Amino acid sequence: MTAQADITMILRNLKFALNSAWQSFWRNLAVSLAAVLSITLILILAGINLLVGHAFAQVLDGFRTKVSEISINVSDDTPLQTVYDFQAQLAADPRVVTVTFVTKDEALREFKSDPQNAILATQIEGNPLDAKLDVRVKNLNDVAAIDAMGRQWSGVDPTDPTNYQGDFVNRMLDLSEWLAIAGVALLIVLMIVSVVIVMNTIRTAVYHRRKEIEVMKLVGATEWFVRGPFVLEGIMTGLIAAAIALALLAVAYEPAVVQFKSDVGFIPLSYDPAFISSLARDLLIAGALLGAVGSYIGVRRYVRI
Amino acid sequence: MALREGVGLLGGIGYTARDLATRARRRVTPQQETQLMVLTPDFDTRPVISFQHVHKTYPTGTEALRDVNLEVPQGDFLFLVGPSGAGKSTLVRLLIREEKPTRGKIFVDGIELGRMKRRKLPHYRRKVGLVFQDFKLLPNLTVYENVAFAMRVLGEPDHKVKARVAEALDTVSLSGKEQTYPANLSGGEQQRVAIARALVHAPRFIIADEPTGNLDPATAWEIMQLFLRINARGATVVMATHNREIVDLLRRRVIAIDAGQIARDDRSGRYHDDLAKPQVRAQ
Repeated sequence: MTAQADITMILRNLKFALNSAWQSFWRNLAVSLAAVLSITLILILAGINLLVGHAFAQVLDGFRTKVSEISINVSDDTPLQTVYDFQAQLAADPRVVTVTFVTKDEALREFKSDPQNAILATQIEGNPLDAKLDVRVKNLNDVAAIDAMGRQWSGVDPTDPTNYQGDFVNRMLDLSEWLAIAGVALLIVLMIVSVVIVMNTIRTAVYHRRKEIEVMKLVGATEWFVRGPFVLEGIMTGLIAAAIALALLAVAYEPAVVQFKSDVGFIPLSYDPAFISSLARDLLIAGALLGAVGSYIGVRRYVRI
Repeated sequence: MALREGVGLLGGIGYTARDLATRARRRVTPQQETQLMVLTPDFDTRPVISFQHVHKTYPTGTEALRDVNLEVPQGDFLFLVGPSGAGKSTLVRLLIREEKPTRGKIFVDGIELGRMKRRKLPHYRRKVGLVFQDFKLLPNLTVYENVAFAMRVLGEPDHKVKARVAEALDTVSLSGKEQTYPANLSGGEQQRVAIARALVHAPRFIIADEPTGNLDPATAWEIMQLFLRINARGATVVMATHNREIVDLLRRRVIAIDAGQIARDDRSGRYHDDLAKPQVRAQ
C-alpha cells in the first residue's frame, strides 16, 4: 500500500471515529451529561485552586516587594556627603536593585500624605522623622545581609536603625513554599479523582455499546479502531466540561474578588483579567487530557481481544 | 489467479475450479477425479483448517476438548453436531481465536492460531465470515449500515463499500430493504443480513454457530440454501448445528462431538450414527 493510500485510510478512520464519537455522545445523552457534569465540577475545583493560588501569588508578590524594601534611617548629624557615599556603595552592590535617598522633609510629607496618619499628623510639632535610604533588594534572602550592612554604617540612627523585621520575612518565605506545595498536592488529588470519574462514565458508555464492540472485533476491527471513538468521546466530554467550568469561573471571578476585598480588606487581592486566558488554556488542556486518559483506561478492558 | 482462469475454462457458471473439484470429489469415480485434477493443475490439497491433538481446558477445570484431530480441505462443507456442552462451541471459539488451545496446534490457512500475535488477530478475522444464532446485528443501524459496518472498520473507501454491500445484499435477496432497521425484519431476514455482513469482505471461510437455531423450519431451509450457494462459490463452511432434518437431508461431511472428543467423522453423514443406535436416538 502506498503512503498516500495509508493517509487516506487514516483520514477515513478518523472521520469514522469522529462521527461515531459525536453520535455516541448524543445517543447516550444522560450518561454523557453525567460525565460532563462530574468533570465540570472537578475542573471548577481545579480552577478555583488555580485562581486562589494565583491570588495568593499576587498577594505574596505584594508582600515580597514590601519586605524586600528596607529603609535605613539616617541620624540627623550625618554629613550629606557620607550619606551620598553610602548610597553609591549600596547602588554598586549587585544584590541591590535601587537606592533612594529620602530627606527629612520628604519623609514628613510622605507621612502626612497617608490618610491613615491624618489625626497623628495634626499633632506633630517640628519634624521628628529621620531622613532615610530606601533600599530595594533583588532577592528576599539577601535582605538580612543588606540590613546588617546598614546597621554597621557610621551614619545610621542608633536608636532606630532600620525598619527590617527579619522574622516576618522568613515566615513569609515559609508560607509561600507551603502554599505552593499544598496547591500542587490538591491539584494532583483532583486529577486522580477526575480520571477515575471519567473512567467510570466511559466504562458505562462502553457497557452500553459492548454489543457494537463485540461485532467490531468479530468483523476484524483493530484495537485502535475500536478504542478511537471512545477516546475522542472522552476528549470531547473533557473539552465541553472545561468550557462550562471556564465560563462559570470567568463570570464569578470578578464579583468574588470584589466581595472578598470588601470582607477581608487587609489582604490586597486584585482582579487580574489577563489570568483568565492562561486559566482557559490550562483547563482546556486538562479537560482533554483527563477525558483521553480516563476513556483509554475505561475502554481497555473491553477492547482487549 | 489460475483458479479464476479455471472458472472461465469451465464455462463461467460462477463456480471456481477448486470448488468444482471439491464437489466433484464427493460422488465421482477416481478416474473422473484425476481428470479434474489435470484440469486444475494448481489444486491445493493441503487442508485449510487443521487441528492437531487439540486440548482445551478452561480455567474452571472444565475439560471442553480432548485430543481433537481434524482436517478440513478448502471448499468443504462441514457440520459439527453433538449434544449441548459436548464442545461444539469451544471448537468454534478456538477457530475464531476467541480462545487459545491449552495443548495442541490449530492451523488455519497456514497460520498457527495459538501462536498468532494479538495485533494480527483483526487481519485473521477479516478472512473469516462469522454467523451466529443470535445474528449479532446492531439495532441502531439500518440493514445497509450493518453490512457496511464490516467494511467501514477496515477503512475501505465509500464507493467500494457501496458496491460490495449492494452485491452482498443481492446475494442474500435483501435488495430494497437497505434502509430498514433490524427490529422491523423477520428472524430469517435478520439472519440473511448477518450472512451478507459475513460475506461482504469475501471471506475464504464461513464459520456459523447454530445459524438456524432461532428460525422456523421453512426459514431455516432458506438460510441453508444460502450457505450452500456460498459454499458452491468456493468458501469453506463450518457449521455447528442442532438441526437434524437439515443435516440428514444434505448428507454432507458430519463431525459428531461427544464429551470433548470426535466421536464420528463421516464424509456424507447423518445427524445420528444410525448404524449404531438407530432407534434410540433418531426418535
